[in-house]
Amino acid sequence: MTFVAKLKDIAARSPWLYRINAGSCNGCDVELATTALVPRYDVERLGCVYCGSPRHADIVLITGPLTKHVLAAAQRVYAEIPDPKVTVAVGVCPISGGIFRESYAVCAPIDQYFPVDVNVPGCPPRPPAIVEGVAKAIAIWRSRL
Amino acid sequence: MMTSQLPILVAALVFPGGVFALALGLALKGADRRFAARLQGRVGPPLVQPLFDIVKLGFKRTMAPDVACSPVFFGAPLIGAMSMLLPIAGVYAPNAMTGDLLVLLYLLTVPGIALMLAGSASGSPYGAIGFSREMAMMLAYEGPIVLIVVAVALRVGAATGQWPVFSLSEIVAYQQAHGALLFDPVMWPTIVAFAFFYPANLGIVPFDIPEAETEVLEGPLLEYSGRPLALFKVMSALKAVVVLGLGVALFMPLPLFGVVGLIGWLLQLLVLALVGVTAVRVGAGRMRIDQAFVFFLKWPLALALIGVVAAAYFSAGVAP
Repeated sequence: MTFVAKLKDIAARSPWLYRINAGSCNGCDVELATTALVPRYDVERLGCVYCGSPRHADIVLITGPLTKHVLAAAQRVYAEIPDPKVTVAVGVCPISGGIFRESYAVCAPIDQYFPVDVNVPGCPPRPPAIVEGVAKAIAIWRSRL
Repeated sequence: MMTSQLPILVAALVFPGGVFALALGLALKGADRRFAARLQGRVGPPLVQPLFDIVKLGFKRTMAPDVACSPVFFGAPLIGAMSMLLPIAGVYAPNAMTGDLLVLLYLLTVPGIALMLAGSASGSPYGAIGFSREMAMMLAYEGPIVLIVVAVALRVGAATGQWPVFSLSEIVAYQQAHGALLFDPVMWPTIVAFAFFYPANLGIVPFDIPEAETEVLEGPLLEYSGRPLALFKVMSALKAVVVLGLGVALFMPLPLFGVVGLIGWLLQLLVLALVGVTAVRVGAGRMRIDQAFVFFLKWPLALALIGVVAAAYFSAGVAP
């Protein structure tokens, strides 16, 4: 293994998370908060911390069906996240629109607008599922470094 | 002392500054995160996690806003990190050249000023808010630290029969010979004031108002990514060593030398970090900027003033 590959293995152990709420009903956001903060599902073991600024982020967690109102803002925030980055769509809304499907006001599925790498379905998904999604995202992120 | 014969460059870049201090500062940060997780009943990250973070930031793309003033934007983290290399030699094993308390005070303000420059040069409104909050915090805690230093200088100066002593090497040598100031009741108000000062200077939770994630999105650091952000992380790790080391040198230097002295010093820093930083950070919520400002102008300033008056009054008999 070369020195750079070793450094990349080390770097992959520090994925910082950033949450984009794209019109979510807050159910998934509550689950995301408990994923990090409740001792039982501690993602800081994997080196993850939530960061306040998109410029610091490595793994983006998008929740919600992407309402028309928030589309431009979400795309702009997404563009501010420096490469390499991995996108995780949390909840069923980013996949199909969930309970908001066929509404005139949502742009789901969101993979028309964002390159989604990992989907975590559920309404809302259980915290272990989100942790598994983050773990899969870390494996993808290592390959992109 | 051991380092007085070593060239100043080695002291700044290899030991006790530079490489050694960076490793120590990152280890202290890792211990802080691990202990905080344990207090909250979590497992927590590995001890070397801050090093992982810095390596990771090296692989990220560096972005700068169009409206940023690039020389200042990229210069501020560099100046901030480099300013912390020199004072570590001064607080670990001070000699006549590196152990000047007044120079140390000036150097301690440089990271704060680097953060202020970074916030104002980024062109972001959140950075501007962070800038103004950082400035308010500096105005609030700079008064107490000056009075703390004056009280120590008066006490040691009177005890050794001279004018106030602003040389850290003499202060340390006096305490190694006559017992630490920690056990001197006259100094207790000063020590309590210092216990309030150092969480504020290190920018941790009750006083991390300039970099509040939930309010101003990390303020001055908002627009930083990649290597400049890594430099800010290096700066804060080095600053933790300097400020905690200053506390040890002012109030509780051990009368030990060589390897045993080094191990004792490391243990003292660890205890100070875990008790004074981590336990406070986990147990307290963030203050508002006006609350913190009034708090610092009330309690630490009053305690520091009492400390100066007490040091002057109780030392009057022995002064020349």
